[in-house]
Amino acid sequence: MADQLLEYVREAAEGQIDFEGQRLAEFLATVLLSVVGAVSFLYGYFLQDIKLALFIGLGGTALTLLLIVPPWPFFNRHPVKWLSEGGDRAGTHGITVDGKVVG
Amino acid sequence: MHSTINRAQNVFGFFTTVCFVVAAIIAASDYASPRTPKATLTVKDVQVVRGRPHYYSTKKEEYANIRFSLSADLSTLFTWNTKQLFVWVSASWPDPNAENKTALVNEAVIWDSIITSPSADHLSNIGPAAKKKLIRSAKGKSVDPSRGKLELKNQKPKYQITSPKGIVANTENVVLKLHYNVQPWVGPLTWTPQIEFLKWKKVKGGVSKAFNLPAIKAKEDKKKATPKANGGATGGKKVA
Repeated sequence: MADQLLEYVREAAEGQIDFEGQRLAEFLATVLLSVVGAVSFLYGYFLQDIKLALFIGLGGTALTLLLIVPPWPFFNRHPVKWLSEGGDRAGTHGITVDGKVVG
Repeated sequence: MHSTINRAQNVFGFFTTVCFVVAAIIAASDYASPRTPKATLTVKDVQVVRGRPHYYSTKKEEYANIRFSLSADLSTLFTWNTKQLFVWVSASWPDPNAENKTALVNEAVIWDSIITSPSADHLSNIGPAAKKKLIRSAKGKSVDPSRGKLELKNQKPKYQITSPKGIVANTENVVLKLHYNVQPWVGPLTWTPQIEFLKWKKVKGGVSKAFNLPAIKAKEDKKKATPKANGGATGGKKVA
């Protein structure tokens, strides 16, 4: 029972997402942080206020972290299609290599 | 990006890169704004008195007390990236026994001041009442160029100066000079320019006319001197 609970906690802490989700996460991180950096500089420069630039930068980064770090459902929209069970016996999945049935 | 920790690490890593690049751009943007400092320095009163460096010292030295007036406009030094401005006035004079009789080899600071920008007022080293007053004086402005406008009339010096030999009486060709150091939020420290670079100009004026340090005030003169002069002579670090 405790083992199962620990397994549940472990999975939740790992926060695994599928490969398409990972690509999206990387893309979003780069774009969002670059935009945050640009916006914070432009606002600060034209309003001549460095404290504002700092707060925009930190706030934007916090939002980005909130959007990317937790394993949101939209990161798991393309789950990996694993093969079904019984893969060691030939003929169960209809996979042929050079005309010979292997899996 | 396969796990939560991994994503957090990646986002934080790129965040530090963005921080560095934005800070570099902010520091570079300072070179785009012009700097045109102006200053007028005049010597008001000079006295040379004998004294000790501190109470228990057996050494007796001569100290010069140079009162001056300063009218400066350093407002262009304040940008959004300026944290504070350090200004100081120094007295410099040449060595008459040296080969080069015009090189100002001796230099001693007589007065200095830290001028904070409104964004750094809460960090200034003053008491709570004065700090509140300072913060309120900026009235929510992020940059206050008027902080750079200095009008000192017959200013008492912060420091009485001497030379390594302990003798300063009758020194000739002394000049007062104004210097500054701009301390930014991000970027390199910059001082009074010796060469003009892009839009940053040298200080216009900023050097007083040459004057001489007098002989030591004789004891009889001291008794006859007005209380104001006495207050100027005995005020400060040294003990007469």
